[in-house]
Amino acid sequence: MRLRHTGVAALAASTLVLAACGGDDDDAEGASGPGLINFYTDKGAWEPQFLEVSDVSETSLGLGLEFTGYSDAEQYSAFVRQSFRTDEKPDLFTWHTGSELEDLVAEDLLAPTSDIWRTAIDNGDVPEAMQEHFTVDGETYCVPMNAAYWVMYYNKQVFDQYGIAEPTSWAELITAADTLVANGVTPFYETNILFSFVWFQTLLAGTDPELYNKLSTGEAKYTDAGVVEVMEQWRGMLEAGYFGDPGDQTAPQDQLKAGTVAMINFGTFLSGQLNSVDMVSGTDYDFFVIPNVNPDLDQTSLIFETGPMCTAKGAENETSALQYAEWWMTDEAQTAWANARGDVSFNPKALVQDRLLADLNTQSGSGDYQLLERYFEATPTPVLTAALDGFSAFVTNPGDPLPILETIEAEAAAYWAEQG
Amino acid sequence: MSAPATAAPTTPPHGSAPPEPRRRRRTTYGWSARGFSVPAVLVVAVLLYLPFLWTTWISFTEYNGLGSPSWVGLDNYRAMFDDPNFATSLRNTLLWVVGSITVPVGLGLLIAVLSHGMRFGGWLRLPFLIPYAISGVAVGVVWRFVLQNGGGLSQALDALGLPGADLRWLSDAPLNTLVMIGASSWQQSGVNALLFVIGLQSIPREPIEAARLDGASGWRMFRHMHWPMLRPLTTVVVGLSLVASLKTFDIVWIMTKGGPGRNAETLAVTMYEETFVNSAYGAGSAVAVFLSVVTFLAAITYLRRQLSPERVV
Repeated sequence: MRLRHTGVAALAASTLVLAACGGDDDDAEGASGPGLINFYTDKGAWEPQFLEVSDVSETSLGLGLEFTGYSDAEQYSAFVRQSFRTDEKPDLFTWHTGSELEDLVAEDLLAPTSDIWRTAIDNGDVPEAMQEHFTVDGETYCVPMNAAYWVMYYNKQVFDQYGIAEPTSWAELITAADTLVANGVTPFYETNILFSFVWFQTLLAGTDPELYNKLSTGEAKYTDAGVVEVMEQWRGMLEAGYFGDPGDQTAPQDQLKAGTVAMINFGTFLSGQLNSVDMVSGTDYDFFVIPNVNPDLDQTSLIFETGPMCTAKGAENETSALQYAEWWMTDEAQTAWANARGDVSFNPKALVQDRLLADLNTQSGSGDYQLLERYFEATPTPVLTAALDGFSAFVTNPGDPLPILETIEAEAAAYWAEQG
Repeated sequence: MSAPATAAPTTPPHGSAPPEPRRRRRTTYGWSARGFSVPAVLVVAVLLYLPFLWTTWISFTEYNGLGSPSWVGLDNYRAMFDDPNFATSLRNTLLWVVGSITVPVGLGLLIAVLSHGMRFGGWLRLPFLIPYAISGVAVGVVWRFVLQNGGGLSQALDALGLPGADLRWLSDAPLNTLVMIGASSWQQSGVNALLFVIGLQSIPREPIEAARLDGASGWRMFRHMHWPMLRPLTTVVVGLSLVASLKTFDIVWIMTKGGPGRNAETLAVTMYEETFVNSAYGAGSAVAVFLSVVTFLAAITYLRRQLSPERVV
């Protein structure tokens, strides 16, 4: 009998130990107090800027952000996906447009924001054309967290040294590159990590924007003559020594500052990064819209990107989070955000302090530009993965582009066949 | 529970058959022991067996981490074996296995043998041991600075007028895998040396003295005396290196992210890439299961072969 009791006692002790290991459920309820909503993002480095805007919203809206930042995009993606299987769904979180957004909508995980968009468009807070990137099957989800245009940054000192003016045509851009090469300066930044798609995007969008769009909807093939031609042009530029070492892991802002490269084809968020290394906008660096490769196009192709800020359906503070999303689109929020980040805003009424960025914000809505979604968001994930791998290999070892395009096309064909 | 089965044992009467009370006592004690082992069993089951079973199940499904997995049978495995990236990953993993068994184990043995018995031998081994105190990630970061294009190594070769300054150490395959094996060996050799020294110190003096009296020395002494007597420890060191090399991830991910163009991926990196970059949890799980099976079979085969009675000296 004594031993039996010992066994029972052991089981009880085990249960207690396990219960202790399990922790207190109350602690896992989330740290949000009144007026705070949980906000998750993979842009962990942007915490000061998010908190700056949060200070404004606490005063203006009575709601602030409880910030949780990730610095690893893959871990963040896994975390968000996992959280939807629990009761701890994020109130607000940053995500991606395109197939990533469609994945969440397909599982009915997001709170719709069509009404918020309608009000924002009526107020002139967001261009109506942007809404389609957030719309799936007629319903709109999330709001734009940020906006950025892809332009050509340049080191003003290097341009001045070699008497180069801002190019207004592709021919002038190539002439500038030739001048730089002749003087032993590398014209353009290149990388084989993540942003290996940038020059493919620029060359294709500036040559045939229609083909660029069709590629992202599966209406065109990567092996089409137009795409092959663009890759051959890229190869010619690589072989002509126009690009820096794609394996150089020095940050782009440091490369531009040091004059390792004279120009960087990058998103306008580079302004903030350049400012962070003490380069002054308009004095040390400037940027220009990249001229079309094809001079016969009516509008200049301008790549833009936007990342969504979403609310999980059934989140603990869903109503407050949607309120916050609505406020985020206002000119008050966007003025605070754009100036905190040193970037443009999707809201044309936002007062952007940086003159260069403010001018670009105005120009982009002038009708002279055709806005095209960044390749990264416009391309379905499986196709993008194959493309990034292919472009990365291509810029590292330029050669016949056809095998790479065939590999990407195989992924694309499989993906679009699955979509029906 | 019935009373007879749980009744406390009483003192067995003299002359009666002993098995019954002994069996009963063992059974009751067993319940108690099982009770104490429950936490450990639960921890192992929840943290090891369940995830493995779950991963195996996911490998037969198509799953993006949202909603419910849908059964696709062996499709993920078929796609895996058809994927040229998988073949590259397999080749790189084999390079890692061969490299990790030969270089750090060989170097460790060499350092141990040369420094064993030497005055201040411990000081000689110390520099080799220090890198082991650094995490794999930190080793990757340091060596990335050294080996990146135009990095420390290229600059040094250029300054000294030596060839190789233009080599793209981390870009071109299989050079990138080979230099990463070198970086990993830099970290691992010291600890292997330490283990071999422990092995050398545990060898009994008598047979060595006897061999010495018989005229053995140098290479012959090592070949016919030290090496056979080091076998148990060599088995452990090689076995650990074998398993560690099969699951190589951190240094490759930190130094190259498996690229460019996935040309430096190992199986563990492919598993991560498929699961967390492509959100193809099914495909990633298939690689994980394949890697687990290969690691298990390699370890079992190696250990069985090494520890079979006829091979043990």
